[in-house]
Amino acid sequence: MSLDRRHFLKTSAVLGGALGVGGLPAIANAFTTAGVRVSRPETGAAQPTPLRILILGGTGFIGPNQVQYALDRGHQVTLFNRGQTNASLFPSVPRLIGDRNDPAGHDVLKRGAWDVVIDNPTTNPQWVRDAGRALGGRVGQYIFVSTISVYRDNSKPNMDESGPLHAPTDIDAPFDRNAQFYGPNKVRSEQEAKAQFGDNVTIVRPGLIVGPGDLSDRFSYWPVRIDRGGDVLAPGTPNDPVQYVDAHDLSEWMVRVAENRTFGTFNATGPKTPTNIAELLYGIKAVTTSDARFTWVPADFLAAQQVRSWSEMPVWMPPTGRTAGFMAVNCARAIAAGLTFRPLADTALSTLDWYKTRPAAEQEKARAGLAPDKEKTVLAAWHARSR
Amino acid sequence: MTLDMRRSAPKTILVLGGTGYIGPHLVEHALARGHTVTLFNRGQTKPGLFPGVEKLIGDRNTPSGHNVLTGRTWDVVYDLPTTNPQWIVNATAALRGNVAQYVYVSSTAAYKDFTRSFPDETHPTQDPAPISGPDAAGAAYGPKKVRCEQLVQAAFGAGATVVRPGLIVGPGDLTDRFTYWPVRIERGGEILAPGTLDDPAQWIDVRDLMEWMVRLGESGTGGVFNAVGPRTVCGIGELLYGIKACFANDAQFTWVPQPFLTAQKVRSWGDMPVWSYTGASTVAFCTSVIEKALAAGLTFRPLATTVRDAMTWYHARPAEEQAKLRAGMSAERERELLALWHAQPREGR
Repeated sequence: MSLDRRHFLKTSAVLGGALGVGGLPAIANAFTTAGVRVSRPETGAAQPTPLRILILGGTGFIGPNQVQYALDRGHQVTLFNRGQTNASLFPSVPRLIGDRNDPAGHDVLKRGAWDVVIDNPTTNPQWVRDAGRALGGRVGQYIFVSTISVYRDNSKPNMDESGPLHAPTDIDAPFDRNAQFYGPNKVRSEQEAKAQFGDNVTIVRPGLIVGPGDLSDRFSYWPVRIDRGGDVLAPGTPNDPVQYVDAHDLSEWMVRVAENRTFGTFNATGPKTPTNIAELLYGIKAVTTSDARFTWVPADFLAAQQVRSWSEMPVWMPPTGRTAGFMAVNCARAIAAGLTFRPLADTALSTLDWYKTRPAAEQEKARAGLAPDKEKTVLAAWHARSR
Repeated sequence: MTLDMRRSAPKTILVLGGTGYIGPHLVEHALARGHTVTLFNRGQTKPGLFPGVEKLIGDRNTPSGHNVLTGRTWDVVYDLPTTNPQWIVNATAALRGNVAQYVYVSSTAAYKDFTRSFPDETHPTQDPAPISGPDAAGAAYGPKKVRCEQLVQAAFGAGATVVRPGLIVGPGDLTDRFTYWPVRIERGGEILAPGTLDDPAQWIDVRDLMEWMVRLGESGTGGVFNAVGPRTVCGIGELLYGIKACFANDAQFTWVPQPFLTAQKVRSWGDMPVWSYTGASTVAFCTSVIEKALAAGLTFRPLATTVRDAMTWYHARPAEEQAKLRAGMSAERERELLALWHAQPREGR
């Protein structure tokens, strides 16, 4: 992994739809430790017609969930990637090798036909263009993983897919992976997807994708912090809205989108109904035996203490001003198109189990969340103030 | 979870009752830890339970009902079902000198003044009920429990262990006082939630309580203990949101302030189970201080585990029992109250 990418992951305040980062995506069994309720959402019991599915990427965070689910449902899966990340994953799945940064990188896609192509890791619009040219009309459906960071204005809650977008980047200019261009690059990629594949395009705009395998630590912070126990700094007010989607739920839905030949553009985050940060934090605590207690510290005090929302207080943005709608995006279309959600307890427990399998050095150096010392300092300041 | 998980030397254990709600959990855990268990009861409730366990038969309401215990010795006796002080008189007469430790399951209802928050074990208790005479049978639950405690302590001294649980919940609980919430939340939709997120809530998973009581027997720990959870002070918001995390549905909570609920004659605890608030006549049940029990090794399962197991058990109950819960409010009443609340002027919220 390049330093650039590390830097990007650590500092970006964007919502990642397609962070196909390296590392081992353990697909953890959600019910290995404390054991919570197994209530799988309805996913349609009938065995679907087998599809030929080409997955671009497929070995990062969300990809392996798609591959496993697609295989379980009887589809024929082919992977296309550099062969570098988790190369031993899914040994029985055919793998086409190519480097998408290479001008001829997509040549291996010039043969063969697919019912569905799922493009997971792409932020560079040129990758979409080159993939489209190589696949040359031999694709029934192209599913592109975009992001809700495409939206220009996050000030209004309940924004649907018609919300105004960032101005796109120039596809002919050199690709700039800087976080500030993440949304604009995704907008351009979406446009290019439609240019290349016409009406056969499905654009999926996820919010914060969470669960086992997430190396951004933007959700994991909370299960890990709460599991550690003690006085936990909780941001804002208990009623502040939050949204996130379990990588399994997103990935599995995308496979069903392919099965159902669902086209169009979809916001894709969760949960199903408006959820607040207290529901998230108390819900996570419910899977632990922790002695955690929460101290709710208002947004203005956090700002004065230079505690940053999102990066230091993950999953949370003050529901005011420019970010008033950031955690309250309308996902009714995706839900109507079959997006379902696991119980939070499942996500929290599987994330915690997975996290504990990571190398100690990674566990100690989380990429998001508040450093323990800073948390103590801010809590002390808050307690001193309210006394 | 790691406290005191070592195996102790096997004990001989006598369980009075043992076939109701909490008893089977205790017996199961004691057997799993290698102890030898004898049951003493009328042989009428679930007689097929624990076929490999010795069973002594006696009716504690008859004067000679405890005779079968005389002359036998055990390390520990657990008295689970007793509210009648006369039962203690008879049991201690039969067992005193032959048993080292007598563990009695009392209740936080032993305390005087339920409106006082945060009772620890030194909090004043009710005036004890008479053992016999014209007023004995009609005495209230709390005073009877206090008299029972005192009789156990008089007979066993340092070998007396008095456990005062709060709301005991989980598989087998026929009161539905906890079950109401997971059942209601599983049904989804708009849910009437009482008071504020921080109103106190306490409960204890029946397995946590029973497993800890087995450990008290293993370590021969005497004394008086409040026994409820969770480990830290908890609000009703933490409970309801924690339960919600176990489901994936459209459940959403509408928090309705206490004064409105009181005006609508909604009772804490009965109509809105597990819930209490400062000044309510139930607040002592939801704010017990448990430092002593924690120091003596009481531990807690994750709430999600309690919810899962309570619901698995609930869904196995006969349909008519599932349809008619013994605590909480009907769907109809909840709808009415929510409609009334939403019709309130904005300032009232």
